[in-house]
Amino acid sequence: MGIEELLGQYGDMYGTALLTTWWMTIVSYAGAMALALVLTIMRVCPIRPLRMFADFFVQVFRNIPGISLLIITVYALPKLDVIFPYDICVIVTTILIASAFGSENFMSGINTISVGQIEAARSLGLTFGQMLRQVVIPQALRSVVLPMTNLLIAVMLTTAIASQVPMKPPELTGLVSYINTRSTGGITTFLISALCYVGTAVFIGYVGNKLDKKVRILR
Amino acid sequence: MSASAGISMRDALYEQPGPKMRRRIRIGTAIALVLVAIFVLGIIRQFYVTGQLDAKYWAFFLQPTTWTYLANGFWGTVKVSVVAGAISLALGLVFMLGRTSSFAWLRGLSRAFIDFFRGVPSLLLIYFFFLVIPQYGIKMSSFWMITLPVALSASGVLAEVFRAGVNAVPKGQTEAAISIGLSKMQTMFKIVLPQAIRFVIPTLISQLVIVVKDTTLAYVVSYPDMLQNARVLITNYDALVSTYFVVAIIYILLNYLINQASIAVSRRTGVKILRPA
Repeated sequence: MGIEELLGQYGDMYGTALLTTWWMTIVSYAGAMALALVLTIMRVCPIRPLRMFADFFVQVFRNIPGISLLIITVYALPKLDVIFPYDICVIVTTILIASAFGSENFMSGINTISVGQIEAARSLGLTFGQMLRQVVIPQALRSVVLPMTNLLIAVMLTTAIASQVPMKPPELTGLVSYINTRSTGGITTFLISALCYVGTAVFIGYVGNKLDKKVRILR
Repeated sequence: MSASAGISMRDALYEQPGPKMRRRIRIGTAIALVLVAIFVLGIIRQFYVTGQLDAKYWAFFLQPTTWTYLANGFWGTVKVSVVAGAISLALGLVFMLGRTSSFAWLRGLSRAFIDFFRGVPSLLLIYFFFLVIPQYGIKMSSFWMITLPVALSASGVLAEVFRAGVNAVPKGQTEAAISIGLSKMQTMFKIVLPQAIRFVIPTLISQLVIVVKDTTLAYVVSYPDMLQNARVLITNYDALVSTYFVVAIIYILLNYLINQASIAVSRRTGVKILRPA
């Protein structure tokens, strides 16, 4: 199939697919960041059961394959009377996995601060809240810009699991399978989707790098 | 860190608690314990009321045939992971060498490949090998239809890992090597690369997790990996929930062990684990 024929017939669907991938990425990333923040607070709080629970949560969801978790949310949870629509299943799966990695990023951001700084802050008489607000959080946030940018790209790539459930309309990966199971679309069908992904990833990477250069603390 | 070595940041955040604070932490701990217990019991209850704890859903895990079948699938997973891992190592190295070469066109080309394979989901690559390539009359076994895309998608990341390793080798060594008359090639292969590889070994081990995760997409091309065999078990025993949970736990344990191995190697060699995208 030539590119003109392809775009004439499926051009609109590619547009919708790109937007679908984008909105799923944004929603999942926002949810993952919120959950990662909660998990990180639990992991550094002095209450042991919360720490252990959040540590366990992170280990589970950073190690589970995305498709395995998606299958559980789509096929196993309904048997446990927990039923979500397909797109919510995909987003929940992506949020759970990305939040584990997001929390790992936050933790390593906190760990880049030397313990001496905490001791110094304390001997200056800063309260716990002041210490967090003025010493820990600003430095931690600055050093996680690049990992979090990479996580945003990873979230976008993870949303491709949506092609495994009957999504309407399909996102970029699902659309390639949709077209090619109906006709012989050829390599162009694949290349258009691929370029949409790569273009978005390169753009995110570019913005992330700029931001990182601006805020990074040189040690 | 030297003054307070051994204290993790988590603990350094807090002062030695006084009696009041200790009481508050105790109360908080008690409340948290109850909440976590309610959460766990809630999940178990949900299994129970929906009948998923019935013996018929779990009894077949006592039969050895179930495990031989899963083990066969696991072997499939291992084969794909090892071959894809090996290919991606070689390709990653090639891409990295191209990316750091002195020819501008080769640098640009390698960069395009790296960005492409890092920016495309492995599922899309799998569909390329599964749906698109056969349209051009090329026949491939299901093994290669899963192994090649997984390898390609890992190779972009590995190229960046190798590059980070090369950058970690002090520049003075390259300068020294060139000043004693080694060619650029010799410098790369005899001086820089051996050290660079040592710098990235723990990272390479941790990246194996990504390969293992990607192999679960094998069912798309009907290659019998562990997840695919689990699906067959499900149709035989009609035990969807238990099987999917058990298989998920196996994957989690496998990946957890790989991560722990990478941490162990990192500790022993004193080399940090890098975290590329």
